[in-house]
Amino acid sequence: MLSRKTNTRYTVLFAAGGALLIMTFILSVMLGSVEISAAEIYGCFFTPDNVRSAHYSIIMDIRLPRTLAAIAGGAALAVSGVLLQNFFGNPIVEPYILGISSGSNLFLGIVILGGYTFGMKNISSMGMFIGSFIGAMAVMLAVIFVSQKVRSVTSLLIIGLMIGYVCSAVTSVLTVIADKERIMGFARTTMGSFAGFTWEQLKILCPVTAAFLAAAFLMSKDLNSMLLGEKYAQSMGVSVRAFRFCIVVVSSVLTAVVTAFAGAVSFIGLAVPHIVRIIFRTSDHRIVIPAAIIFGAVMAGLCDMGARLIMPPTELPLGAMTTIIGAPTAVYLLVSKNGER
Amino acid sequence: MEEAVIKTTHLNVGYNKKTVISDIDLNALKGEVVCLLGPNGAGKSTILKTLSGLLAPLSGTAELDGEGINGIDKKSLSRRLSLVLTDGPVPAMTTVFDLVSMGRAPYTNFMGQLSDNDRRIIDAALAETGISGLRDRYVSELSDGEKQKAMIARAIVQEPEVIILDEPTGHLDIGYKVEVIRLLQKLSAEKQMTCILSLHDIDLALKGCKTIMLVNDGKISGMGAPEEIIKSGTFTELYHIKGGRYSELMGSVEIKAPLANDAFVAAGNGTGAVIYRSLARNGYGVVTGVVHENDKDHEVAAGVCSEMICEKAFEPISRGSAVKAEELALMQRFVIDSGFPVGGINAENIGLIKNIILKGKRVFSLRPVNESRRFFGELDSRIVHAGTVSELIQKIRSIF
Repeated sequence: MLSRKTNTRYTVLFAAGGALLIMTFILSVMLGSVEISAAEIYGCFFTPDNVRSAHYSIIMDIRLPRTLAAIAGGAALAVSGVLLQNFFGNPIVEPYILGISSGSNLFLGIVILGGYTFGMKNISSMGMFIGSFIGAMAVMLAVIFVSQKVRSVTSLLIIGLMIGYVCSAVTSVLTVIADKERIMGFARTTMGSFAGFTWEQLKILCPVTAAFLAAAFLMSKDLNSMLLGEKYAQSMGVSVRAFRFCIVVVSSVLTAVVTAFAGAVSFIGLAVPHIVRIIFRTSDHRIVIPAAIIFGAVMAGLCDMGARLIMPPTELPLGAMTTIIGAPTAVYLLVSKNGER
Repeated sequence: MEEAVIKTTHLNVGYNKKTVISDIDLNALKGEVVCLLGPNGAGKSTILKTLSGLLAPLSGTAELDGEGINGIDKKSLSRRLSLVLTDGPVPAMTTVFDLVSMGRAPYTNFMGQLSDNDRRIIDAALAETGISGLRDRYVSELSDGEKQKAMIARAIVQEPEVIILDEPTGHLDIGYKVEVIRLLQKLSAEKQMTCILSLHDIDLALKGCKTIMLVNDGKISGMGAPEEIIKSGTFTELYHIKGGRYSELMGSVEIKAPLANDAFVAAGNGTGAVIYRSLARNGYGVVTGVVHENDKDHEVAAGVCSEMICEKAFEPISRGSAVKAEELALMQRFVIDSGFPVGGINAENIGLIKNIILKGKRVFSLRPVNESRRFFGELDSRIVHAGTVSELIQKIRSIF
């Protein structure tokens, strides 16, 4: 953007990120309790008849949807983090920390359990997504409301954590009073997991994510103006109220669509935007958003792989993996001057 | 008559229907530098916010080229008016060039792509503000002064008719303060940009801005060229200065000495000023005499001393004044001879000191010993001499 040198750097970094993403994708499908060769993956798409049927179904029914979900989900959470950090003018916020993921999860629980109570056998993926979205929006609006009363970064964090705790508490109460067997899948998602993703769910996750990631990217120019705060943004021609509403909707959708099917995944939204700003050495959203998409996908993909592969056959909670990477980032941000406004 | 760029009529500003300042009538001409002065919380920022369209007027009108500022759509307003505010987040990982280029947002395409022309304008603004060398530095690494210049450069590239600056010299050292004001003067003179700003530096405002607007107690208490509206006492009143006095003539503030009958300083020709201040700092009460009204000491003493006996400009000290001064001096614990030059009209002060010595008061002196002997003869032996003001204070300390 600036000079040829910077331009070259961006190109190199994007190329490296892309390569990393492809590698993550392939490895994520290959590795697991059953080893699968790259040739077999290739085979699945082009010569399905030559692939052993057991392997074919592992790839097509389990690993591929899971990998795609991790990649799309990571991208969505990372960009949601970018948007929220912009909105609050604060590098330490993200969907999980602000309790948005937890709120989303709670409403998802209400929808699922409520659905069973009213005799529905299955809740459609769309229904789950909508429940999740309502929860995300509700918490987001609550946090925004409170954040107008308290301006300090620390208070905002504490309030987010509290809202998160409350939502988690209510969710756990729901889990206890509900029929155990039916909510197995749901209980697990409170820690976040991309396991058991179905193609039906992907049919919602992928298009929604793609559309809203594109929307986020198209908001880059105004996001850049917002870097200096609302007043400056307005003086540079941004209709601040309308634009803030857009940020809320887009970031809530991106959080909700992941939470609906994978539960509350922590810290990706915090760590990735920050890492991206540091390695790309810019806050320009035209660079940060695409980079967050790529690196968010890579990070979620790697964490998901780690969860599966570190202690097989036990599957570690995804939240544990992302927290190990994300929490130190959060602490670093709080301790370094960047955390303060 | 020149057309006003920013014009307000019976403008009332405030928040949530609560009026902060009422009845503002401002006519800011093309290229004029208008400065708002007033105490903290007087409402300077509220006025600036209203003029920049961030706040709607409560009543009355605020117009930019005859159009209500609040009614102009944000996009086109951003090409005509830009802002420099006191605070705001410092974006991480943003270079000075990136920061300044943000100001081109009103002109760039949907994705904010910079054209060659945009780049030229940005580079010109960097050069104009003297920060071309900082082009690729991160904003977070800049000093306050450098950052402020970058923010001004950002405002310049918006190519506005009007720049509104809220305390642009806050946190800056005196060097940067002067630089910022010079920069605004240049923008006004060369680019015909109208600058409306608030300052806390009275001195800078009076010397650097064509028009001053005094904001206090919910109204505009004065507006015009500094020489028209500023009188002796204006600022002591405007800022409600207690325990001190602002000297409009000297452009400086003096802090009142404690109220105590400690020192009488016989002074003149500016020899008293440092002594008054030093005594006051060290906790002594100070009075002075006989000082001429046109003396530099008079201006300082008016701020520091609790009492002063003075004489009309260029008149010899009258008998009456001398007697009053002697009475005043005798009420104090000690007397200081500042070493003032002695001439026709103030010779009476030497006589005054002599009388005081004879009445048994302790006299300290900064006058060179041989000169002192010449004036006081025998009596000089009863005077405590000091070579410097700090030595003087030390000697006073050891006795009083």
